[in-house]
Amino acid sequence: MSSTTVYTEEELVLLLQRQSREGFDYLYRQYGAVLYGVIFKVLNDEQTAQDVLQDAFVKIWKNIGQYNAAKGRLYTWMLNIARNSAIDKLRSKGEIMKGKILSGDDVVYSRDGMKTEQRTDTIGLRKTVAGLKPEYEVIIDLAYFKGYTLDEIAKTLEIPLGTVKTRMRSAMQQLRTVFNN
Amino acid sequence: MSTTEYIESGALEAYILGALTREEAAEVERNISRSTELTAELKAIEETMLRFTSSFSKEPPAYLKDKIWSTFGTDSNAGPKLIPLQPEYRKPATWKYAAIWIALAGSAALNLALWNQGKEAKEQNNTLATQVNQMQAQQQQLTALVTEYQKNKSMMADTGMQTIVMHTIKQGHPMAATLYWSKTKGEAYVSIDALPAPPKGMQYQLWVMQGGKPVDMGVIGIDMANTPNMQKVAKLLTSGEAFAISLEKEGGSPTPTMENIYVMGKPS
Repeated sequence: MSSTTVYTEEELVLLLQRQSREGFDYLYRQYGAVLYGVIFKVLNDEQTAQDVLQDAFVKIWKNIGQYNAAKGRLYTWMLNIARNSAIDKLRSKGEIMKGKILSGDDVVYSRDGMKTEQRTDTIGLRKTVAGLKPEYEVIIDLAYFKGYTLDEIAKTLEIPLGTVKTRMRSAMQQLRTVFNN
Repeated sequence: MSTTEYIESGALEAYILGALTREEAAEVERNISRSTELTAELKAIEETMLRFTSSFSKEPPAYLKDKIWSTFGTDSNAGPKLIPLQPEYRKPATWKYAAIWIALAGSAALNLALWNQGKEAKEQNNTLATQVNQMQAQQQQLTALVTEYQKNKSMMADTGMQTIVMHTIKQGHPMAATLYWSKTKGEAYVSIDALPAPPKGMQYQLWVMQGGKPVDMGVIGIDMANTPNMQKVAKLLTSGEAFAISLEKEGGSPTPTMENIYVMGKPS
């Protein structure tokens, strides 16, 4: 099988389930950069992100038998493993990471209005998501990259829970337009 | 709440963004499973999310790949031993009953005729005797078929028997196969009624995913393809996460040839 072989997700699952090197090579080639990108986005630290990427691949490798295609795409499943591993790491790093990230949040989400510009510049989201409204960016960032629940987001931003959800909807709608063009 | 209102509420987005608690997520999953509209919407959001996240792609350092591989410490490609299936044909079709009755009636009539005309020429008698023997042999075969059919019927009536349809994974090739599996008994029957006849020198082979690895369940008789016949899986089958059939060289392979996996299915 050459390096240009394209596998469907079903085929890749089979390859991974039989623990083939070919399967791993393909997995890494196809998804390594995306998973690393998301992990890095969460942790904002290369060395930690590399450790977490390794953890995530080990989890994917060991738990591929538990993947259930009926519940969603393999890609999504792997992304969630990577993202959750990164968020766990973020939390376990506790005070150090808190100091690095949450102190920024305190400034940004203070009561006298959201200084999202400042915050997103720090995080670097603006560079990648052109045109996404700041109030949407914040919500996606908190939910997806920081692992906040709806409730936590509502409390942090001091907006009603329903608004958090509808903003999530609007944000994804906007992204849909951006990425489907 | 109507489906539209539910979609507009942003619950699906919150689910995809991972912002729900376990209970909330389970509720969304329940709702999705009940509505094709919600399923379609979720797929669209999922797709957007995949594109969004891939926009953050970042090449990890080159050395990392081998480092990760080395932590797996697996002996790959240690495939299971190949055990061929013992074909056992089952022909569930009502015409066979008719055939049996015709054969039985024919045989009886012939027997009677023989009894009446028994004193006629010996040669003719011998010839007919041979024919009777042949018919008796046929009769035995048909009786065996009836027995098989009855077994087959009771098998289908077994409530513990689940039907697993294996669907095509080759785009543009509508193929399917069916596995009847009694998990408690460890018995299974496979039918490849919607698979094309294998090319010369090739044969279909059944696989089961156990503990994340494909385990050989034996080859499937060459003349099974495109017929409603069922073949008993000779190996004990008490667990499996998924089933697949691949086209292999005649006699089977120790591990499935990935690009030749034609159909796959999961037990419900």
